[in-house]
Amino acid sequence: MNSAYRTYAAKRLVQAVVVILLAYVFTFVVVSILPGDPITNVLRNPQNGFTEDQIREIIAAQGLDRPVLVQLWSSFSSFLVGDLGLSMRSHRPVATLIAEVLPSTLILAFAGLVVALLLAVVIAYGTRFLPKRFGQGLLRGFPSLFLSVPNFVIGLVLIHLFGFQLGVFRVIEPDSFWATLFAAIALGIPISAQIAEVLIANLDHEAGQEYAAVARSRGLGKARLFAKHLLKPSSLPVVTVIALTIGELLGGSLITETVFGRTGIGSLVQRSVSTQDLPVLQAVVSLAAVVFVVVNLIADLTYPLLDPRVKLLGTPERRPATADEGSSTISQAVTS
Amino acid sequence: MATQDRLTATIFRAEATGPKPQQSAGLLRVEDLSVSYGPNQVVSNVGFELGRGKSLALIGESGSGKSTIARAVLRLLPGGAHATGRVEFDGHDVLGLPERRFRPLRGRAIGFVPQDPGNSLNPVRTIGVQAMEAAALLDEPDKAIRKALILETFAQVGLDNPQRVYDSYPHQLSGGMLQRVLIGLAVLPRPSLLVADEPTSALDVTIQKRILDLLSRLQHELNISLLLITHDLAIAAERADSLVVLKDGVVQETGGTTAVFSSPKSAYARKLHADVPALNPDRYARLRDPGFRFLKADTGKTPKIEVSAVTKTFAVDGRVVTAVDDVSFSVPAGTTHALVGESGSGKTTAIRLLLGLEQPDTGNISVAGERLNGRSHESLRAVWRHLQFVYQNPFTSLDPTWTVERLVREPLDRFKIGTAKERVEHVREALANVGLGEHLLSRKPEALSGGQRQRVAIARSLVLKPDVIVLDEPTSALDVSVQADIVEVLLSLQSNLGLTYVFVSHDLALVRQLAHTVSVMHRGRVVEQGTVSDIFDNPQQPYTVSLLKSIPSGAARVAPVPSPQPRRIINQEQVA
Repeated sequence: MNSAYRTYAAKRLVQAVVVILLAYVFTFVVVSILPGDPITNVLRNPQNGFTEDQIREIIAAQGLDRPVLVQLWSSFSSFLVGDLGLSMRSHRPVATLIAEVLPSTLILAFAGLVVALLLAVVIAYGTRFLPKRFGQGLLRGFPSLFLSVPNFVIGLVLIHLFGFQLGVFRVIEPDSFWATLFAAIALGIPISAQIAEVLIANLDHEAGQEYAAVARSRGLGKARLFAKHLLKPSSLPVVTVIALTIGELLGGSLITETVFGRTGIGSLVQRSVSTQDLPVLQAVVSLAAVVFVVVNLIADLTYPLLDPRVKLLGTPERRPATADEGSSTISQAVTS
Repeated sequence: MATQDRLTATIFRAEATGPKPQQSAGLLRVEDLSVSYGPNQVVSNVGFELGRGKSLALIGESGSGKSTIARAVLRLLPGGAHATGRVEFDGHDVLGLPERRFRPLRGRAIGFVPQDPGNSLNPVRTIGVQAMEAAALLDEPDKAIRKALILETFAQVGLDNPQRVYDSYPHQLSGGMLQRVLIGLAVLPRPSLLVADEPTSALDVTIQKRILDLLSRLQHELNISLLLITHDLAIAAERADSLVVLKDGVVQETGGTTAVFSSPKSAYARKLHADVPALNPDRYARLRDPGFRFLKADTGKTPKIEVSAVTKTFAVDGRVVTAVDDVSFSVPAGTTHALVGESGSGKTTAIRLLLGLEQPDTGNISVAGERLNGRSHESLRAVWRHLQFVYQNPFTSLDPTWTVERLVREPLDRFKIGTAKERVEHVREALANVGLGEHLLSRKPEALSGGQRQRVAIARSLVLKPDVIVLDEPTSALDVSVQADIVEVLLSLQSNLGLTYVFVSHDLALVRQLAHTVSVMHRGRVVEQGTVSDIFDNPQQPYTVSLLKSIPSGAARVAPVPSPQPRRIINQEQVA
């Protein structure tokens, strides 16, 4: 990698960290100015049976009687060192709670993304190269179909068909390989639609470019033209779309986890919302911010690798002089 | 040295298997070829024959079907096209062959040099990776030797630093370099036929000449047949053995170059000949020459336009680039001054300064005695009423959602001139001046031809009754016959209304037809200045001479040029 790219990557990284920290502060402020006092609500809930002395003790121990800014600072500084606080409900460290469920969600989301990408590429390839009589046109309808079916419906159909009818996986073992695969398929199908739409449109565009015709005139077959020439330039916008669908991937995984009975971030959030477990919610929101920022960071860093023409932010690109044409030509340096 | 020996052997093999033994029949025979897109037939019953090692040019304007014929020969027609008839290449029926059987011919037997080098290489892959695709057709198993052959071909097509080119991405090279790369990739597998579709129309005039010289040289050196597609009769006459003149997909005339070029029989070929500026330098003398008296009369009047010692620099990527360097010229009222130069010569920056769109770093610009530089936008508006601009490309300069009437009226609305009724009158008058009928008033640009659009653009600038019109390559996007019409309109407007023109162009032949005085620009400087006859008949500067020599005239049919031996020495580092 050249130095321009390293500078660009370093700048992007710093920006990403700043965004994550700001997101944490923002969440904290929003929670603290929300109407109602969830802390008091929890502590004074008669079911919990705390006495006034105990309540005072807990509030003092948690530092909840201090001014909001002081609370923000102490919470923020412990966030910086990775301390997410204690759950108000189970009194266990929030970090532990999240660590318990995060791997399951990450596996599902990642598998869902892989399924979505594979499906999108297969559909896009088919729309270009499947013979007309095998439904080239029909394939173009797939993305709209996939988008219009909610993923819990897909999930229920998959469970019914492959879980109960065919017995490919057992519904009571949601973390087994096959169960995870089908959950990933349910999650990936709607997301593949968006990626496929963009990919098909860009492949159509790139295939119409002159360089595609010139490459064919060099004797390239359809498959090599697709893989060597069309896929890379067409995947540029796809990178952006993937970064945008990460939100959907996370949101979708909450639903999919419920449908397939998996324990993940989804079930943790559900529990924490219903019990107003603020430290956990604060941590999950911050985690979501981290995921978004990291994914977009990856997208930003991938772009210049895919397209050498992308001008790196803040690093001026030199236009090489075109010296070969002798004295009579000048590089088009300024305007024309 | 073993590698070197194998390399030489491979070159030998490639050359030995390249041009096939002479046969009596032509290499490419097209018979009764028709191509249609749905119900629209764009090529009708076209036939011609191209012999081995010979060259043939398909000539015609846009829409003549010349590129479609080339694509039919290459089997690169787009999906909706339907071709009938017979295209026979070296005994193969090109149209009838299944793709599986035709593909081995691609590249190996039929090479393709495309029109626009800037869009003809994949922008996100290096030149080297794409060159390897062409080298793969050579049946050479050793990758190092394939690469060495690529580098040698790059040197052969005149690329100075083959290794740098190999490692570059397309956007890092100039148009001329890219076209050399594309020609190199096309000839690398030693095809017997090269189809070149307007290979130089996107390039500057001096580069155009070099590329055409290169094609002619390779054609003779490697005994390749050349099918050249062009809109320029002069180029075709210089480069081809025989010509096929096309109009609306129908062959108008065909035959040997000398016959068709010197004594055209069909009306269309005669018109085409008459419309090529290079072949008819005095065509508009009757309209243009009266203007010369404004030059001679040394009446002490201030010139209409006075540009003195203007310099403009830009900061590009931290470097300072001098786009316009100490440029001076003056234009007497009623005459045409031409700024000529290649891309990057600073002519566009010069007219942006003249229009007040940029401010000069130093120097002065005045129009009709009023200084232009250092004025506010508001006070410039007053100047713009008398100083109008016609843009290069009428296909992008007119708002497609507006009617002709609104387009031409807009300047009047902007300057709040006259009552609504008077404005309509002015619009009609301006349209009549450029030869457009009132029935076009309610049309939108998409319903107009290119020539009509440019007339609308000219009418739009005329409607304010300006004294000066700046014309930025006003015909470069148009066909040669349409160009002739536009030039005629411009010249009669000048002689009727006494307009002063500043005409920017890279086309010297066109400049010779219509300008009175010329500034030749090179790297931001004016290298030579004078009247048209000074510049064209008695050029002083080598750069001007090289520009003039680059104009295709059709006169000198390029004979097999004895060329330097292709370089055979290859550095060991490059092989390794």
